[in-house]
Amino acid sequence: MTRDELNAHRLVKEAQETELRAFTRRHFLKESAMGLGAVAIGSLLASCGLGGKSHNEILYDPAHPLLPKSPPFIGKAKSVIYLHMAGAPSQLELFDFKPELMKMDGQDCPPSLLAGKKFAFITGVPKMLGAQAKFAQHGESRAWVSENLPHFSTMVDEVSFLKACSTDQFNHAPAQLLIHTGSPRLGRPSMGSWATYGLGTENQNLPGFVVLTSGGSFPDAGKSIWGSGFLPSVYQGVQCRSEGDPVLFIKDPHGMSRDLRKASLDAINASNEQEYANYNDPEILSRIAQYEMAYRMQISAPEVMNINDEPQYIHDMYGTQPGKSCFANNVLLARKLVEKGVRFVQLFDWGWDAHGDGPNNSLNIGLKNKCRSTDKPITALLLDLKQRGLLDETLVVWGGEFGRTPMMENRNGVQNPYNGRDHHTEAFTMWMAGGGIKKGYTHGETDEIGYSALSGKVDPFDIQATILNQLGFDHEQFTYPFQGRPFRLTDVAGKVIRDIVA
Amino acid sequence: MVILTITEFIGRFHPVLVHLPIGILLLGCFFQLLSSGNRFLTLKPAIPLIYLLGGIGAIFSSITGYLLSQSGDYDGSLVQLHQWMGISVAAISMVVYVLFRIQVKEVYLNVIAVFLILLTALTGHYGGSLTHGSDYISSALKSDGGGKVAIPPVPNVQQAFVYKHMVQPLLQNRCYSCHGSEKQKGKLRLDTKDFILKGGEAGASLVAGNIEESELIKRLLLPPSNEDHMPPKEKPQLTEQEIELLKWWVSEGADFDKKTQDLKQTEKIKSTLLTFQEGAKAATAKKLDLPEKEVSKADAAVIADLKKAGVVVIPVKGNSNYLSASFVTVKASPEVLKLLGGLDKQLVWLNLSNTALSDAQIKSLSSFGALMRINLSRTPITDASADGLVKLKNLQYINLVGTKMTAKGLAKLAGLKELSKVYLYQSGVKKEDQAGLKKLFKKVTLDFGDYTVPILAQDTTEVKPPEAGK
Repeated sequence: MTRDELNAHRLVKEAQETELRAFTRRHFLKESAMGLGAVAIGSLLASCGLGGKSHNEILYDPAHPLLPKSPPFIGKAKSVIYLHMAGAPSQLELFDFKPELMKMDGQDCPPSLLAGKKFAFITGVPKMLGAQAKFAQHGESRAWVSENLPHFSTMVDEVSFLKACSTDQFNHAPAQLLIHTGSPRLGRPSMGSWATYGLGTENQNLPGFVVLTSGGSFPDAGKSIWGSGFLPSVYQGVQCRSEGDPVLFIKDPHGMSRDLRKASLDAINASNEQEYANYNDPEILSRIAQYEMAYRMQISAPEVMNINDEPQYIHDMYGTQPGKSCFANNVLLARKLVEKGVRFVQLFDWGWDAHGDGPNNSLNIGLKNKCRSTDKPITALLLDLKQRGLLDETLVVWGGEFGRTPMMENRNGVQNPYNGRDHHTEAFTMWMAGGGIKKGYTHGETDEIGYSALSGKVDPFDIQATILNQLGFDHEQFTYPFQGRPFRLTDVAGKVIRDIVA
Repeated sequence: MVILTITEFIGRFHPVLVHLPIGILLLGCFFQLLSSGNRFLTLKPAIPLIYLLGGIGAIFSSITGYLLSQSGDYDGSLVQLHQWMGISVAAISMVVYVLFRIQVKEVYLNVIAVFLILLTALTGHYGGSLTHGSDYISSALKSDGGGKVAIPPVPNVQQAFVYKHMVQPLLQNRCYSCHGSEKQKGKLRLDTKDFILKGGEAGASLVAGNIEESELIKRLLLPPSNEDHMPPKEKPQLTEQEIELLKWWVSEGADFDKKTQDLKQTEKIKSTLLTFQEGAKAATAKKLDLPEKEVSKADAAVIADLKKAGVVVIPVKGNSNYLSASFVTVKASPEVLKLLGGLDKQLVWLNLSNTALSDAQIKSLSSFGALMRINLSRTPITDASADGLVKLKNLQYINLVGTKMTAKGLAKLAGLKELSKVYLYQSGVKKEDQAGLKKLFKKVTLDFGDYTVPILAQDTTEVKPPEAGK
């Protein structure tokens, strides 16, 4: 290459680069005309929003994620105790009294109830099954409760029944996810996460969202039903044990003094802060906050979580079994936690799935035993909260993930060995009490065999909307920005059940 | 599912198409009037073309409009008027085009142009009335907007005529706009007895005594997401009570002349009907959540100091200056309580539970006039505190669980007019004093607690499965 050629080559290259530079700049502006316009109109529209409060306002303060915050409206409930009977209790053996169904007992199911329906196990033509328990009316509100719940039947004047709950998921895991996270699929924050995200928690020495399980197994949907989804991870439920140490390894190991523990946590936090300075990831701040909370919890948690220092008459009232892991212990713990300012206590009791495929899964044996282990503690909880003046500000919710069929289950067309019922999505019963909910009220009714709702039908979104309403939130305004759009617990559905709000 | 015929499909383009001739013809008329002066003479050559285009647009609009009117969703007389006016607009615009081409005197053309403007505007107005209802514009001026009450309260619900006083106003405010004299969507009119009984395209709207066969009720009960749900989900919905009313009216025979008291009523419907009676709202008036008057903002420095001491101080709701304070993780030392003094106007809820509070400290709270809820449970306070508490005139809730307060001290609080709940579990109040206190506090719920849950044999036993199989 001659010198001239080289120079020419350089000139051409320079010219090309200059052109390219000019081109990309213009190109960018030209191409982004629409985009920039959209951004501009987006912010313009946002400023037209109601009350000037942006939907994308993030309530999350990474350094103090759990500090108490005010709800947008006055909340009737400060705390929630959610009692989930995992497996789905049979409404027809507990609350939904159907004399007509008794008359049809043993008959073939009419085809009109089966046409176009899907069931988890029922195939072919099952037999109808009358209630496997006697019913009576109770209290001034004359609510029907079966003999399976002799203690709770004295509490009907404190609660609002939702007789016509419905869902659209007939398998346990998706139905549990739906009712706790607002979506039958994984990845959404649970109700307790939303509550602690929005309200923080009063007691900075304890987690804001505590989960207690009993019944020998986790709920089918696993830990995702108390997960924080796309909310910062600090809002996920903290699972505690009612037996032994409430949280594993909460005690300092032998030979580790409190000062040494403090010093080591300080060192970890210092290095985390350095990490935060480098990467600016707010999750690191959450982690620091969690270490600090863990340190404080080492003192406060064993104290609160220890039910042994409760007087004997309280143990008698709840029917606890100190030293063991059981529902009654969890219920007593729930009351203690709420008293100490914990925002959301979520209880799961496994084993309500009365298909009739075995004695422990039958309406006459297994279900009755589940009732016996929960009836007294739940009744005691309501009374104890009441006498302490806490029921006014604590919302108690009871329910499963769906209901059970008025038909006897015939698995793969063969009658099950014990009396049982299949999963049913169209009608089941839940109840709420305290926290600004009407007393002695029944909302909704089902048809004469308890198959589907006649009036007052509610779905999981309505229940979530109502719980958020009692905590002081408008479920349509309470959002978190994720993947480019504001998300809410109730997604695009849900209506507050005004009829049960006192 | 109704399948649209092709003509009806074309007809539905009418509301879009009409705007073309309106715009074009108005432009032509304005050009015509402007160009009669010298300044806009240059506009003249464009005018005939504009009239021609407008005329063609008007002809197409008339055709699609005619097809749409055949669907029968619209009221006869108004449609007729709108139809003939629309056709006139098309005809006149074609005429004016021809007149322009044969060059008649400009004065005549101007007169026709003014007439055409008026005719076009009026035709458009009638068209708008057909789609949106004749009170569309005027309703925007009324202050209550869309949230108007469906049923105006009746003086005595048992003496009221069911149809005339409750059902008809409900239909009028929630249904007439689409099923009334102006519009009959689905060929249904609900504004007179005869029309209601006649029903619409989907069949009888009412089958007396049978709510399951009555289209009117069936559609109300469909989920809002269903396309057949009425009213359409973007319109104001009926409340549960209003639906109950209609269900009851239809199941009791859908009588148009009877009074409420002449129809059979269950206890449930009786209480539902009461909600339509005058003063129903006032009777259920609740205690206030917050004082009515707004208050000045609290001193931020005081709040910061309290927070530093570990006290949870937050507004009771997002935009309020009223505050709640909770001592859930701190001891109420005299110094901290003194700090609290800076919030005596704003504090409405105070939780001092489990703190080592003294009677003297309670007395220092007596200037907290706004306080509505106070939790003093498990504090060592005694009867002496009652003298301080009685000065807190707005108190609704007092929690004295586990205190040494006795009947003697409590009696002093009888003067608190707003009081509604007092919790006295494990307090100094003796069993034998409870009855007397209840008499003294007639309007207050006194909760003495001490609840027990009886021990039943089945609490501790299990149902055992039978030995062999079933």
